[in-house]
Amino acid sequence: MELIVARNIHKRYQMGEVTVHALRGVDFTLYDRELVVVLGHSGSGKSTLVNIVGGMDLASEGELYFKDRPLHNAGEAELTGYRRDQVGFIFQFYNLMPNLTAYENVHLSVQIAKDPLDIDALLEQVGLIDRREHFPSQLSGGEQQRVAIARALAKNPQLLLCDEPTGSLDLPTGKQILKLLRDFCDQYNKAVVIITHNTNISYMADRVIYLKDGLVEEIKENPEPLPPEKVSW
Amino acid sequence: MLWKKMIRDIWGNKGSYLACLVLVIIGLLIFTSFSIAGDNLSLSQEDFYREQNFAHGFAEITSMPYRELERLSEVEGIEQISGRVKKQARVTRPEGEVGVYLELVSMDLEDPERVNDVRLLEGSELRAGEFEVWIDDQFFDTYRLEQGYRLEIIAGGRARELIVEGVAMSPEFTYPLRTEGEIYPNPEQYGIAFISRDAMWSLFPELQGRVNNVVFTLVHGADFDQVKNRLEPELEPYGLINLYPREDQTSHLILSEEVAQLQRMSTVIPIMFLSVAGLILYIMLKRLVEQQRGQIGILKAFGYSNREVTLHYLAYALTVGFIGGLLGGLAGIYLANPLTWLLLEFFHVPETYEGFSLYYLLLGLIISLAIFLVAGYQGCKYALRLKPAEAMRPPAPISGKKTVLEKIGLFSAMLTIQGKMAVRNLGRNRSRSAFLFLGMTLSCAVVIVTWSLNDIIDKLVFYQYEEVEVHDARITLTEPLSPDPVTIELTGHDEVTMVEPLAEVPVKLSHAWREENVLVLGIPEGSSLYVIRDAAGRRVPTPERGVILSERLADKLHVSPGSTLELESPYLRNGEEPVLVDVCRVIPQYLGMNAYMEITGLIDLLDQGSFATSFMVNVDGTSGPDDPGGDSRTISIASLRDRYRESEQVAAVDGLEERVREARELMETFGVVIYIYVLFGMVMAFSIIYSSSFIILSERNRELASMKVLGMTSREVFSVITFEQWFISVFAILAGLPLAQMMMMAFARELSTDLYTLPAELSAQALLMGAIITIASISIAQQFALRKVRKLDLVEVLKTRE
Repeated sequence: MELIVARNIHKRYQMGEVTVHALRGVDFTLYDRELVVVLGHSGSGKSTLVNIVGGMDLASEGELYFKDRPLHNAGEAELTGYRRDQVGFIFQFYNLMPNLTAYENVHLSVQIAKDPLDIDALLEQVGLIDRREHFPSQLSGGEQQRVAIARALAKNPQLLLCDEPTGSLDLPTGKQILKLLRDFCDQYNKAVVIITHNTNISYMADRVIYLKDGLVEEIKENPEPLPPEKVSW
Repeated sequence: MLWKKMIRDIWGNKGSYLACLVLVIIGLLIFTSFSIAGDNLSLSQEDFYREQNFAHGFAEITSMPYRELERLSEVEGIEQISGRVKKQARVTRPEGEVGVYLELVSMDLEDPERVNDVRLLEGSELRAGEFEVWIDDQFFDTYRLEQGYRLEIIAGGRARELIVEGVAMSPEFTYPLRTEGEIYPNPEQYGIAFISRDAMWSLFPELQGRVNNVVFTLVHGADFDQVKNRLEPELEPYGLINLYPREDQTSHLILSEEVAQLQRMSTVIPIMFLSVAGLILYIMLKRLVEQQRGQIGILKAFGYSNREVTLHYLAYALTVGFIGGLLGGLAGIYLANPLTWLLLEFFHVPETYEGFSLYYLLLGLIISLAIFLVAGYQGCKYALRLKPAEAMRPPAPISGKKTVLEKIGLFSAMLTIQGKMAVRNLGRNRSRSAFLFLGMTLSCAVVIVTWSLNDIIDKLVFYQYEEVEVHDARITLTEPLSPDPVTIELTGHDEVTMVEPLAEVPVKLSHAWREENVLVLGIPEGSSLYVIRDAAGRRVPTPERGVILSERLADKLHVSPGSTLELESPYLRNGEEPVLVDVCRVIPQYLGMNAYMEITGLIDLLDQGSFATSFMVNVDGTSGPDDPGGDSRTISIASLRDRYRESEQVAAVDGLEERVREARELMETFGVVIYIYVLFGMVMAFSIIYSSSFIILSERNRELASMKVLGMTSREVFSVITFEQWFISVFAILAGLPLAQMMMMAFARELSTDLYTLPAELSAQALLMGAIITIASISIAQQFALRKVRKLDLVEVLKTRE
């Protein structure tokens, strides 16, 4: 089933005197239950794309649909509702609330969700049940990212958007994180989009979208995606 | 280059700097305008006193031969002495809506060195023996008189004509009040007329060759009390009523009090505003330095010295201090003259305008810069300590911690996640939380105190006339009369429904070495026209023996119920010997300072035959729904006044309702001033909340953006900040109540005089309004800050690591 349909997406930024054309007519479709990797060098427009798909930013031109619902002309309130109910975000720098414990950070998103998942079950799943009362400053980078994943999943979103989720982590920790993402996709039948410049990660994807200079260069199906444990870089 | 950086930084956060600037401007505006107006008033006062040879001592006596003055001038310590005849007369032309009275004051035209000399503003000299007068300027203007106008008065029971020859003013009447119960001058009802001594003697033949009022100046260095002790025995044989120093002279007392009050306000209010502004700036700078630690590192790595970096950040503070100081100072100078002009509406002193005061402008600037130098240095000294390499590294991550409060299970259970974040943030930056708390406490207290000034003024004026003196009119006699025939006479009139006598006796009460000259009011037992009330408002019966004192009088004499006082009075049959009287009760009195006795008890004590000095009456007429203004009552009083227009025994007929009405009109003017102060309190609360919101926003934009990304609305995200602010504010408002009470008590103590005592209690309404207004200011400031949350650029904030 089509989850996201993007048609001819353009994004222009005004940077002082210069207009930056970050996306120049991107077309693609996302289906549910798939894990997609968006691959591109820095400046290829991949973060811009995920921000637009995630409802954090509006396209300058083009059409964007979530389950046939148009988002390209949505107002602030509609976008907030979309982020609230349908999307989960994971960032490179975790962005946890420093003065909330692991449990409370997850609770923060449960609080606003319509159909949330059980917090302790999620913490169990990400392997942090013993550290539920710890504050972010008492957790390692990998642990913090796992809290961030639990937080994103807890809302039970249709779509999980991950912007360089392993960017600040070492290889073993990074693999753990990727495995969690793969599991979420398979167990809960949700769509996961991972944005990265790391080609190796693309081997675990069902599909890979290659982005270059603000355009989709190629979309490649991966008939046999590698399990995350086998990914290496 | 660094200047440009600073200007852009300030511009980028212009709201908070503006809030700070507004506080500085208000502070400096009040400082310069009040200081200059105070100077203007005090300079006018000094010049006027010097030029008109204003007396150091005043004596009221029954009457004394004029020739005695020469002997009195020999008394050691006295430099010059003048004797006058002072008498009040009723005016029949011009006619006012209510009774119009003139204070006639005689002038010795042959004496070149008159004490309390009169300044002729316009007109021609008086001629001895002619019925010519100089009229005080306010009365002259109020009735649009002109030179040659023929005033008609009743003097000594006879109708007379006085010709207006000029307009004049005297230091003795800078704030002329006709009776003790008044608190503001009313030129519609009361004016001063200066007349030659000989003409005065013709008007009042019984005083021919005599004076009833003596004023004197002291030789340099002489002590008033010593002179008083020498003068008293000389004057006592002539019925000494009161002998008092300049400090107790009504006009002088009120004028000096006003000058002192302006000076106090010109320091207290600006200190309050500048401290708050300084604290806001300190916190903003501290945040700025933390935020720009990377930039500081780069500057230092380039080779900028510590001094240069510090100066750069200090410049932020000094720029605000300078611009605010300059604008506030200039605005204050501009407003000083209108303020002086406003004061001169109340005080009759010659106009003095200082004009442009470079002194106060510079002084204000220096004060403002000094405060901001300290605040700025405290704010940016952290930048000094940073080593370049260390500065370029990101700061240590913020460590989360549960607060002590959360150990209380119930409290913790009540908190939402946002609430927990807010409560933990309080502990994260204790000094800022403390500032927020103190600032809100202060703003709330300022609003409560200013709001309760409404109640105080109300109590001051209306309590006396609506709860205590509950008669329609007072008929004052020229000399004491036996009460019974007068009561019968007054009751005989159709319009009079009730009559009660009143004896007002000037006395000197002393306890140990403390003494006070006051009026004892003799009130009939069970009086329904004069109701003495205790602090709770309950009726207090007049005791048969013993005296009731007002709280202030009891304080001044250091007595309490049960103490014994010595009482002296010209009304005592055996004039020389004081009698003893017990204090049986102390009651609050807001207007005036009196002692009270039962009338027959008072007369017995004085060993006199029964007498009354005035009569309280109630007249026909309702002031019910059909007649809210009490017009029919006013008509009855007017007819009573007409009836005694030419009576030799009646000095005045005063309607109390008229007084209340006039007081109400005057209070409306005060109302405006109160609202301005309330507005100041609001501005303070607004600025504190506004800037605190912005600091929190800049500090936690990352957290807040993450929450928005999670799908929280701007309002939900902002609730973390507002929860924190409300949490502090609720306690701050609660703390504001006792602070307001303390400020009120200080106010009452500082501002009370013998003429009026300010009640120190705060009404529930003032407390409620204080809380409501503070809450409203907080909400408004938060609405402004919320707009910033709406505009938070999620993409930008989350992309980078802080």
